[in-house]
Amino acid sequence: MEILVFMIVGVLIGRFCFPKKLKKLNEKMQVFMTMLLIFAMGVMLGRRENLIHELSSLGFKSLIFCLIPIILSTIIVYFLTERFFDRDKEEGE
Amino acid sequence: MVILAVIALVLGMFYGLSGYQISVLDYLASHTDYILYATMVLVGISVGLHESILEQMKKYHLKLLLIPTGIIIGSIIGGVICSFILNEPMRESIAISGGLGWYSLTGVAIGNLSGAEYGSIAFLSNLMREIISFFVIPVIAIKLNYYTCIAPAGATSEDTTLPMMIRYTDEKTVVFSVLNGVICSACVPVIMSVCYTIF
Repeated sequence: MEILVFMIVGVLIGRFCFPKKLKKLNEKMQVFMTMLLIFAMGVMLGRRENLIHELSSLGFKSLIFCLIPIILSTIIVYFLTERFFDRDKEEGE
Repeated sequence: MVILAVIALVLGMFYGLSGYQISVLDYLASHTDYILYATMVLVGISVGLHESILEQMKKYHLKLLLIPTGIIIGSIIGGVICSFILNEPMRESIAISGGLGWYSLTGVAIGNLSGAEYGSIAFLSNLMREIISFFVIPVIAIKLNYYTCIAPAGATSEDTTLPMMIRYTDEKTVVFSVLNGVICSACVPVIMSVCYTIF
């Protein structure tokens, strides 16, 4: 929930007092922060004991548990959004 | 972006495995919530700069729930199918697939409830969901539609996979993505407790 609060703070800043010419810098900062997040995830994984062992023994099963829900979620959401949402795929490109 | 993400992940893993202690990096790795909050402010600024977006959102109201509903139904059916394919109990299978990508919570929770092996599968499969989402979001944005990019990401669409949405979709989808992440994250503990109650 905190996440929403921070986002709303950002929306207000963007709406009322953020200089438009810094838009590109803002986007670059977002990429930088994401890379920090992913780096931190890598550190957490690297420090996890038995990661390599877990991956070799349970990796395949885990992959199936990951792929089938991803594929079904994607199919269902695709049909729902095609049916009920405006088609504005090209917007913003 | 995807290449950068892989480099960041690999560098992080090497650093973690190496056992080196660099105080700045350790601080960053253990305070990811602050990084996430800062990211959210920056994302909010992008949304705020896009003037028509709030008006567009008003058009959708209840339809906002369609995406998380589709994701949850798809993931639960996925768990049922996995249970048959892999010959695993229904309870654990649905709890694992119902993690919706939230590996830290599901890994620990399922580990406590069903033992270390299921905890590891829950952790790995949900982590894979997050990592695979990174790579499929750009493809889905081109081949299907922007909203569907949120589907693989599940509960992670409000944080780690969000920058991919920003990069490959539009501001409106980004707002949907954040709301979807909040709703899905709220549902993960519910799905899990329902599973352990019913089965």
